[in-house]
Amino acid sequence: MVRSGFVTPELDTRWFDPARLNVLIGILLFTAFLVVNIFRARAKGTLYVRPIAGLKALDEAIGRATEMGRPVLYVPGLSDMSEVGTFAAITICARLAYRVAEMGCDIDVPCYDPVVMTVLDGAVREAYSKAGKPDAFRPGCVHYVSAQQMAYVAAVNGFMLRELPAANIYMGSFYAESLLLAETGARTGAIQIAGTDKVTQLPFFVCACDYTLLGEELFAASAYLGREPIQLATVIAQDWAKALAAAAIVGALVLSALGHPALQTWLKVA
Amino acid sequence: MTWVRQLLAIDRRIIFLLVGAGAALPLLFPLNLPVAVTPRVRAAYDAIDALPPGSKVLLSMDYEPDIMAELFPMSVAVLRHCFRKHVQVIAMTLYPAGTGLGERAISTAAKAEGAVLNRDYAWLGYKSGFQVVMIGIGENLRGMYPVDFYGTPLDSIPVTRHVNSYAQLQMVINLSGSSAADYWIQFAQGRYHAPLVIGCTAVMATDYYPYLSSKQLLGLIGGMKGAAEYERLIDTFGDARRGMDAQSLVHLIVVGLVIVGNAALFISKRSGGDGGGPASGSMTR
Amino acid sequence: MRRGPLLLTFLSGAAIAALFFIPHYRAQAANSMLLEWTLVVYAFALILGSISLWNSHARKVRNRAEGWGFSVVTLVSLLAITALGVWKGVGEGTPVDWIYNTVNSPLASTMFALLAFVIASAAFRAFRARSVEATLLLVTAIVMMIGRVSIGELISHRLPGITEWLLDVPNLAAKRAIAIGVGLGAVSTALKIILGIERSYLGRS
Repeated sequence: MVRSGFVTPELDTRWFDPARLNVLIGILLFTAFLVVNIFRARAKGTLYVRPIAGLKALDEAIGRATEMGRPVLYVPGLSDMSEVGTFAAITICARLAYRVAEMGCDIDVPCYDPVVMTVLDGAVREAYSKAGKPDAFRPGCVHYVSAQQMAYVAAVNGFMLRELPAANIYMGSFYAESLLLAETGARTGAIQIAGTDKVTQLPFFVCACDYTLLGEELFAASAYLGREPIQLATVIAQDWAKALAAAAIVGALVLSALGHPALQTWLKVA
Repeated sequence: MTWVRQLLAIDRRIIFLLVGAGAALPLLFPLNLPVAVTPRVRAAYDAIDALPPGSKVLLSMDYEPDIMAELFPMSVAVLRHCFRKHVQVIAMTLYPAGTGLGERAISTAAKAEGAVLNRDYAWLGYKSGFQVVMIGIGENLRGMYPVDFYGTPLDSIPVTRHVNSYAQLQMVINLSGSSAADYWIQFAQGRYHAPLVIGCTAVMATDYYPYLSSKQLLGLIGGMKGAAEYERLIDTFGDARRGMDAQSLVHLIVVGLVIVGNAALFISKRSGGDGGGPASGSMTR
Repeated sequence: MRRGPLLLTFLSGAAIAALFFIPHYRAQAANSMLLEWTLVVYAFALILGSISLWNSHARKVRNRAEGWGFSVVTLVSLLAITALGVWKGVGEGTPVDWIYNTVNSPLASTMFALLAFVIASAAFRAFRARSVEATLLLVTAIVMMIGRVSIGELISHRLPGITEWLLDVPNLAAKRAIAIGVGLGAVSTALKIILGIERSYLGRS
């Protein structure tokens, strides 16, 4: 038996990584912004959030589907529950399903991930109950397709071409399949609304869809659709954090140009 | 004008036919077009080239057949460079269908450069779970891979005998077309500070530019173009350089179509039309 | 009552977030263990997926819905692959491996290859100079498409440099801005879930 010659790496016994202090401070500040805005929302009762064209179009899309007697197709992205984009897709789906139930049209949600399918099934079922139409919920409208990217695309494209949904909504994390799906949807003449946190796929959706939610708009969507003050407060907290990030970047840039790179170094994430 | 409207609403099968011909013809009749080397690929090449003979690198080929057109020639080029420099390669994949492709890439490169299994390279094969494997390698390689793909214990393989974590590796190279690259950056580089080179599909490449500026990546090889540049740097003429001829022609066809479409739109507008077919953000409803 | 799931979400979310800041080897071992648990949970979730797939296609066959023949193919494939996997295993050289390599992989490659065709079709329809912004997009796209391939260098030796500048400066600036927004949006969503503000994932809209 040949003896191993490798060296065992030294065990880390620290209970805090000081190189990540900047991230901790950032998260604490963000949480503080969130709490402050929740109190503001409770005091005021409402908060203003700018209109997002793609989200205003959701009602139009559902209305169109109802008039035409065709289903709404909701594609919740091709990621699992470890992606925040998937959570955004779930919350948007729940709110969309509520409107679909209210207006009395049909929804079809093909899933890539079995856990996401289970969660979405519960969310859509609950939305129908909340809309006062639990009997209108069609078992199997949220269904599993495949955990293989291209097999999933083939199945969803086949559905689009056979069932001709009036509206195709793509929300969540998408990869190379984005254009394959959106281009097929465009061919069927459906109204298409997309939203993704995957920056690389945004141009494809912009080309092939009627409306596209860009990056963070995906995360703001559920708050916007719900119009609940506490949810809107999170969007405003996000804006405050963005302003702080912009100020930090400009500050670091100016200080570095003046020969003081300390802030720039501190902002780097280890 | 009817012909303008027809042109604007051209049957997409005609476009498909043109693209198909554009992709196939240069593969049958190569044009041997030149390839300019970009700084990012040069940086990847320089980083590997600077490794002293006997250095060990971990190469993870995390892709399946769907994107092999871009990443397989890249794998062969990188492996050939390593073998030529006598850099020892410990290769693996995080995709089940990547097993056959990875093995083929290694055997192609080894045959071309005269590299020998276990002396110049080791093939660990497939293991599932991105984060688990990456963290596992950082803690204890043998916990993840007690034996190589062929069932030989790692202690019996000269290339892996003295390696049990990133600390004993001089570099990690990841060639992938998925979020695997993000995890390699997060874990291998971020947590274990392993010097990292990434190769990815062309669409993904710009996602990783910020990591180059922040020096978290030593180099970046993007898509078939990047692979073709790498082939040029190691002075070989492989599938990537052949593929670039096809890519050039297809790009020209698309540009031609866009120009024709815009000319038709211009004529249509001048003659009082509405511009014909639908445009971005305004599908037919 | 949903207090149990909410409490579990809060505790696990807060613990995972805390582990990011704790480099102690025991904490990292716990982190690795949690990651392994997710793999186990997913393995069981696949059973749920398979049941859903079966129900969905069996319903189509029963109702003779349009394209029900495809559903029969799906059901037969599902049964056959599962049976072969249980009987002969799924390792190298097994029938499942052979089917994966000779049927599944070429089909996936074919689907992916369609991307080249749909990109051309989408570009033809989308790149129309209808406004100043659209014209800018159109011109940039043409420069990029030509400058990024070998023929660009033949047309002008400056083209590759121009495309590199476009990628490095305007593209990267816009991408970073969007990425910062996405990052903050992700943090906001994560906090909403951990703090129980967002509960749709529990089946409560």
